[in-house]
Amino acid sequence: MKLLKTKKNELIEIQEEHLATTLNGTKILHDCVMQFVNKKLKKADLEQVIQSEQKCDRLKEKFTQILFKEKRALPFLVEDRYAIMMKIDQINDMTEFFARFLQVYPFELYDDIKDDFKSLCGYCMETVEILINCATLVEADFDSAYKKTFDVEEVRRKARKAKFDLLETVFKKKEEPTRVYLTSKLVTYIYEVASWAEDVSDFLRGLIIKYPSR
Amino acid sequence: MGLSTLVIIFIIISVLISFSIGANDETMATIYGSKTLKMKEILILAIIFAILGAFLLGGSVSETVGKDLLFFEVSNPVVLTILISTAIWLILSSLLGLPISTTHATIGSIIGVGLLLGGGGGVNWLTILEMALWWLLSPIIGYIVTYYAYKFIHTSVINKLSGFRNYERAERIFSYILLIVICWTAFSRAGNDCSNAVGIVSGLELDLNFILLIAGISLASGIVVIGRGVIKNVGTITELHPSTAFASEIPTAVILFFGTILGIPLSGSHMLVASLVGLSKARRAPMSRGLWKIVLIWLLTFPVAAILSAILYFPINLFI
Repeated sequence: MKLLKTKKNELIEIQEEHLATTLNGTKILHDCVMQFVNKKLKKADLEQVIQSEQKCDRLKEKFTQILFKEKRALPFLVEDRYAIMMKIDQINDMTEFFARFLQVYPFELYDDIKDDFKSLCGYCMETVEILINCATLVEADFDSAYKKTFDVEEVRRKARKAKFDLLETVFKKKEEPTRVYLTSKLVTYIYEVASWAEDVSDFLRGLIIKYPSR
Repeated sequence: MGLSTLVIIFIIISVLISFSIGANDETMATIYGSKTLKMKEILILAIIFAILGAFLLGGSVSETVGKDLLFFEVSNPVVLTILISTAIWLILSSLLGLPISTTHATIGSIIGVGLLLGGGGGVNWLTILEMALWWLLSPIIGYIVTYYAYKFIHTSVINKLSGFRNYERAERIFSYILLIVICWTAFSRAGNDCSNAVGIVSGLELDLNFILLIAGISLASGIVVIGRGVIKNVGTITELHPSTAFASEIPTAVILFFGTILGIPLSGSHMLVASLVGLSKARRAPMSRGLWKIVLIWLLTFPVAAILSAILYFPINLFI
């Protein structure tokens, strides 16, 4: 039984580190996007996002190894924690993908969409922040975590509106179709982070409802 | 055949029946089902408590089962017939991974041989009826108590938990209590079950402590060698967590303990399976599809054990 406790603590530590690294990676990406908008992007900074994703992969691997090394009590909690980690890890994949895309994006951002783009990035950052908060709360307080899932949904709605406003502006441009196409991709890819964060928050909501205290 | 040879044969048969009882012991099933311990750890616990229970508690029940069931003098061939037919039926059901009541099998064998040799008047039907009342009541009590025990635990504890960590903490506490309850059950049950192996042998002039010790060791061997199939089968009748496993173990443990103290031969298997069914109903959780096989083998136990003993009596009598 003592072993069980040690294993659980180790799992929780890895999970917390994974969440913190995910949040940190998203914050770095957010800073990079701000630099990009202000034409001061240091591509080396984007490497930090990629490294953050790699660190999360290693944590995920370690988590899985410990998780399935021994099959002990409370499989439902173990399985739920595993599912949460896998889903949140997808955010790292998306931020890494966006960072790589930004590294090779050959244009500057249109001046007339800069503010909206900043807002969209802000919303994306916010959804991830709330989601990480929600995933942390699931460990100790279902009610608060449950409420947070609705916050993610609300911010995601704002992000969706910002996305389509941006696309509307971008698609009105007649010259440089490649730039238009790639900029629309830029908008879509960053929005997908917020969209996925909402999917994960929906999953968390379902998970919380599954437990009898909700 | 000399008396010492007969005594050796009796002890061998006792070892065989104890082994078969152990093979059919599902006490540890809920620990396995709730994944509180691994199979290796479960088997170590089972060995310890089977030996202790048989040795320290077995004597009380042995005397009840060994006396007052047959109105004619119990001869050696009769004793052997009862033991062998019970062991055969237990081993067969254990090989199928199905838990049966050792008490039922033994009483079935006694009735078979009693009817054969003494007709309707050869068997003490009053005592058997008295026992039958308990056999009927035990699973009903197990079902009802587990049903409400689960509802109570769910409402007063589980429903008030919030967050994975609180769940974990609560379930950990339940798993500790479950372990204590299971060890208690294993201990009292070993005492109860061993009576079936040594009960009729106690009629012979042998040291009861020595027989009980041997019976305990054989019981433990049975659990280790083929008992794990039954443990796995019963442990997976319905989905278990330490808290739910705890709710299903309470009636089994309490009733069995007092049954053993009072010298009432109860069926732990029936009670536990009924408790798990009660739990499944209370949680509205699905049950294992193989449940009908368990019920079928319960229904078959009395007639098959009786027929087996009736068939086996003549060759055994001829041999001895």
